[in-house]
Amino acid sequence: MLTVKDLHKSYQVGKTTYEVLKGVSLTVEKGEFVAVMGPSGSGKTTLLNCISCYIPIDSGEITLGEKQLADLSEDTLAKVRNQQLGFVFQDFLLLDGLTVRENILLPAIIGGTVTSQTEARADQLCDVFGISAIRSKYPAEISGGEKQRTAVARALINRPLLILADEPTGNLDSKSSRAVIRSFEQAKESLEATIFMVTHDSFAASFCDRVVILRDGVVWRTLEKGGTDRTAFQDQLLDAIRDMGKE
Amino acid sequence: MRHFSDAYAALRRKNKGQYALLAGCSFFSVLLITAYVCMMRSPTILSVLPEGGDSRKQVMMVFVLAVIGCAVFTAYAAGLFFRQKSRETGVFLALGAIRRQLQKEIGKELAVISLGSCAAGAILGGPLAWGVWQLFRLFLVDSQEMTLTFDPKSYLLSLAFAAYVVVMLFFLGGRSIRRTNIIDIVQESHRSEPIREVKRWYGPVGIVLVVIGALAGYLMPSFFVTVLHWYPPEGLTAVFYLPALIGMYMILLHTVVNGWRKRHKYRDIIATSMMKFQGRQTVRNMLVMTLLIAGAYFASFYAPMLSTSSAYSFSTRPVDFEYHWRNDQNWPEEDEVQSLAAEYDVDITSWQQVGAATLGGDGTISIEQDNGALGTTYTSEYREIASGATFFSESAWNALTGQNIDLAPGTCANVLDDEGGSDYLSGGDVTLITNMVTGQNLSVAPAEPLCYTMLLGCYVLDDGDYDAITAGLTDDWRETWVFFDVADVESSYPFADALFNEIVDRSGPEIEVFDAWDPVARELEIAETGSYNYDSKDYLAANGLGVIDYDDRDSSEFRNYWLYMPQFRILDQNDFVTTMAVFLVLFIFIALICFAAVIVIAFTRCMTIALTNARVYDDLRHLGAPNAYLFRSVKGQVSKVFLVPAIVGTGVIAAFYLMIMYFNDNRFTPGEFAGMAACAAVIAALSAVLYGVYRVTRRSVCRALGIQDR
Repeated sequence: MLTVKDLHKSYQVGKTTYEVLKGVSLTVEKGEFVAVMGPSGSGKTTLLNCISCYIPIDSGEITLGEKQLADLSEDTLAKVRNQQLGFVFQDFLLLDGLTVRENILLPAIIGGTVTSQTEARADQLCDVFGISAIRSKYPAEISGGEKQRTAVARALINRPLLILADEPTGNLDSKSSRAVIRSFEQAKESLEATIFMVTHDSFAASFCDRVVILRDGVVWRTLEKGGTDRTAFQDQLLDAIRDMGKE
Repeated sequence: MRHFSDAYAALRRKNKGQYALLAGCSFFSVLLITAYVCMMRSPTILSVLPEGGDSRKQVMMVFVLAVIGCAVFTAYAAGLFFRQKSRETGVFLALGAIRRQLQKEIGKELAVISLGSCAAGAILGGPLAWGVWQLFRLFLVDSQEMTLTFDPKSYLLSLAFAAYVVVMLFFLGGRSIRRTNIIDIVQESHRSEPIREVKRWYGPVGIVLVVIGALAGYLMPSFFVTVLHWYPPEGLTAVFYLPALIGMYMILLHTVVNGWRKRHKYRDIIATSMMKFQGRQTVRNMLVMTLLIAGAYFASFYAPMLSTSSAYSFSTRPVDFEYHWRNDQNWPEEDEVQSLAAEYDVDITSWQQVGAATLGGDGTISIEQDNGALGTTYTSEYREIASGATFFSESAWNALTGQNIDLAPGTCANVLDDEGGSDYLSGGDVTLITNMVTGQNLSVAPAEPLCYTMLLGCYVLDDGDYDAITAGLTDDWRETWVFFDVADVESSYPFADALFNEIVDRSGPEIEVFDAWDPVARELEIAETGSYNYDSKDYLAANGLGVIDYDDRDSSEFRNYWLYMPQFRILDQNDFVTTMAVFLVLFIFIALICFAAVIVIAFTRCMTIALTNARVYDDLRHLGAPNAYLFRSVKGQVSKVFLVPAIVGTGVIAAFYLMIMYFNDNRFTPGEFAGMAACAAVIAALSAVLYGVYRVTRRSVCRALGIQDR
C-alpha cells in the first residue's frame, strides 16, 4: 500500500541545515491502522508532510500503490491527494462557510465527482460517525470532537487508499478523542480504510495495529499489537517511551 | 452543492464582509483619484495655475501623495483579503484541488470585484468632483472663472490608476495561489508580521532626519541656483526630502514599538504586543496617513494664509486708492475722478499726483545654458543696462508718501517693503542709470533703502539728478502716480469698481502687458534679436506666463499680474475672494480629499485590528479580563492609529510651513503672523473633526469586539 524507503529531509534555517529525517523506511499494508510516535522534533509531522507531498523530499522513495509520488506532476499529485489520500488535521481545517455535510462532500466537489451516490455516501458517513443530527450546521456551531469526526468523514468520502492523520486528537478532550479514535476504528472495520496516524498520545496509539517510534529522524523501534490487549499494548508503548528516555 | 463554483459561492456568501471591504477600498481609492484628477486636469483649474508655477507644483505634489496613499492602502486591503482567503485556498489545495481550478474561481471573483469597483469609482469620481465644486460655489464663493469643465483626457490618469488596482489584485491573487508550499498557505492566517528590533535611538534620530530632510529639501534648490548657478532637472531636488520621509518612518516605528514614555511594564502589554506584531503594515499605513495629513494641511493652509495675509496687507495700506499710468495713455485725471466720485457720493479727502520715469539700471543678468537632462546652468554677467524700473524724484516721493527724505546728489535709494524686507522682490542697488531715449547715463551710489510696500521695487533720486537724467524722455517713458483717500472707504466700492473699469476701458493695447514686461529689456532684446518674447501672447501662454486680456479684467490673472493694475483698497478687499476663488476652492477640495482618505484608511485599519484580533480578545475575556481592561487595550491601539499620524503629520507640516515663511526673507512679517494664527485655527478645527472620527471609530471597534465603550 504505502512504502517509504530511505527518506531524507532537511530544512535550511539561515546558514544552518537541520536534517530532520535521516533515512526513514517503513511500510503500511492495506487495511492497517498504523501510528507514528516520538518525541517533539523526532520528525513525525515532517514524515507525514512528505508522504502527503506537501513538502518536497531530499532523497528516498515514497510509493503509494504502484505510484512513486516524487515523480508525479503537480496536477497528478493533486489528483492523488484528492482521490487516493484522505487527510485529517490537528486543527480540523474545515471551511467555516460550508455546512458539515458540504465539508464532507468537499473532496468530491473538488474532484467534480458529486453524484446522488456520493451524497448518499456522505449521509452514510454521517450516520457511521454519529453526526447526522448536525449535518446542516456550520463548523462554528459544533464541538471539537464533532469537527474532527466531520474531518474523518471528509477524509473518507472519496474512498481513498490511505488516510493520513496528523495529531487528530491533539486539540480534543478525552471524550472527543475517544470518539475520534472510535471513528477511525469504524472506518477501518466497516469501510476497510488504511490509516496512518501521527500522534503523541499513547492512548490513541494503543488502538493501532502497529506503532512506529521515531527518534532523531530514524525509526527507533516498531511495536506490533498482535493479539495483545489494548491496555497492555499501551503499557508496552509507555515502557518503550521510558526506555527511549533512558538511552 | 455539486460543483466547485457552488462551494466557492457559499464561502463568498459567508465571507461577504471581506469582499465588501476589498471592493469598498478599491472603489474608494479609484473614486478619490478620479475626483482629484478630474479637478486637477480641468481646464478651469489649469487656466489659473500657471505651468511650472508653484501652485501647480503643490497641487501635483499632493496628488502624488494621494496616489501613493491610495496605492498603498489598496494593496494593504488586498493583502488582508488574500491573507484571510489563504486558509480556504490551502484547504482546497490540501484536499487535492488543482491550481487552475482555484485560479479560475478567484479570477472570476477578482474580475467582478476589481472591474466593478473600479468602474463605479471612475464613473462616480467626476460627478463627485462636480458636486463638491457646485456646493462650494453655492455656499462659499462663486465667480465667472469657477464654471467647471472637465477634460475627458483626465480620465486617462484615472484609468491608469484603476488599471494599477486591477493588475495589483490579479497579481496578488495569482501569487497567493502559486505558492507551492501548502503548509505555509494553511498556516498563513496565523502568521504575524514581526518587525526587527527597534532601538530606542530610532525616535530621536528620526526627528533629526526629518529636520535635515526638510532643510535640505527646501534649501538645496536655492543652493544649486545661487552657489552652483545650476537649475537642476525637475524632480532631482525632491530627492533631498528623502531623509525626512525616512525620519518619519523611524519616528512612527519607534512610537509603535517602543513608545516615547517609559511605560508601566505590564499595563499596556496587550495593546503594545498586538501593535508590534502587526508591525510593517501598521507603520506603513500610519506613514501614508501622516503624509496625507501633512498634504491636507498644506492645502488647507493655502486659503487662510493667503486671505489673512492679503487682508492684512490691504488694511495696512497708507492710502485708499493708488493708480499710475504711462503718460501716452488717456487715463482719468483728477477732475474726471472727482466727477465720478460725486456721481457715487464719494468724498475724496486728499489727492497726491506726481510724475515718475522709467529708466534703465545696471546690474547682472543671467545667461542660461540648457544642458538637456542635466538641467540648466547659468553665468552672471554685468551689464550697464540690465533692466528697467520706476524712478521718482525725492520731492515727488515726499509728496506721494508724506515722508521727508533728502538724498545727497549722486545717490539712489531702492524701495523695500514697510518692514524693510522683500529685497528679493526689489531690483537691488543700482550704480548706473540710463535714459533710454537720449542714451545719457548717470553714475550713482546706493543710498539707505526706503520703506514703502506700495512702491516696492521703485527707486528715488535727488531732485537735481532726476531732472538731469529724465530730460528728453518721451511720454511712453514717463508715468503719473496718484494717491488719494476718501472719507468713507467702506461705502466706496461702486465708485472703485467704476473707476477701475474706466481705467481699463481707456487703456491702449500697448500696455495690455503682464507685470514682468519690461520696456528696457524689450528695447535691448529687440536690438539684439529683433523681437521681444513677452510681446507675444502665444509665447506667454506656452510658457505659463500671465496673458493679460482687458476682456478678462475680473480674472485672477488680470488682477494679479497686469502691470498697471491699480491698488484700490475696497476693490481688493471685496473682490479678493472672487478673484482667488478657484485657488481657494481648489485647495479646500484637495484638503477635503486628503482628509477623506485619512479617515477611510484609519477607520479600515482600526476595523481590521478588531477583525484580526477578535480571538485574542475572546481569550482575554476567558482569562477573566474585565471590560475596562479590554477597553483600555482597544483604546490604546485605535488612538495610536489616529493620534500618532495626526501629531507627526501636523507637527511636520507646521514646522515646514514656518520654515518656508521664515526663509522667504529671513523673517516673519506681521501678515505672516496673522496667517499663522488663522492656520492654527484651521489645525484646531480639523483636529476636532479627526477626534470626532476617532471616537466614532473606537465605538465601532468596541461594538465589533463586544466591548463596552466607556
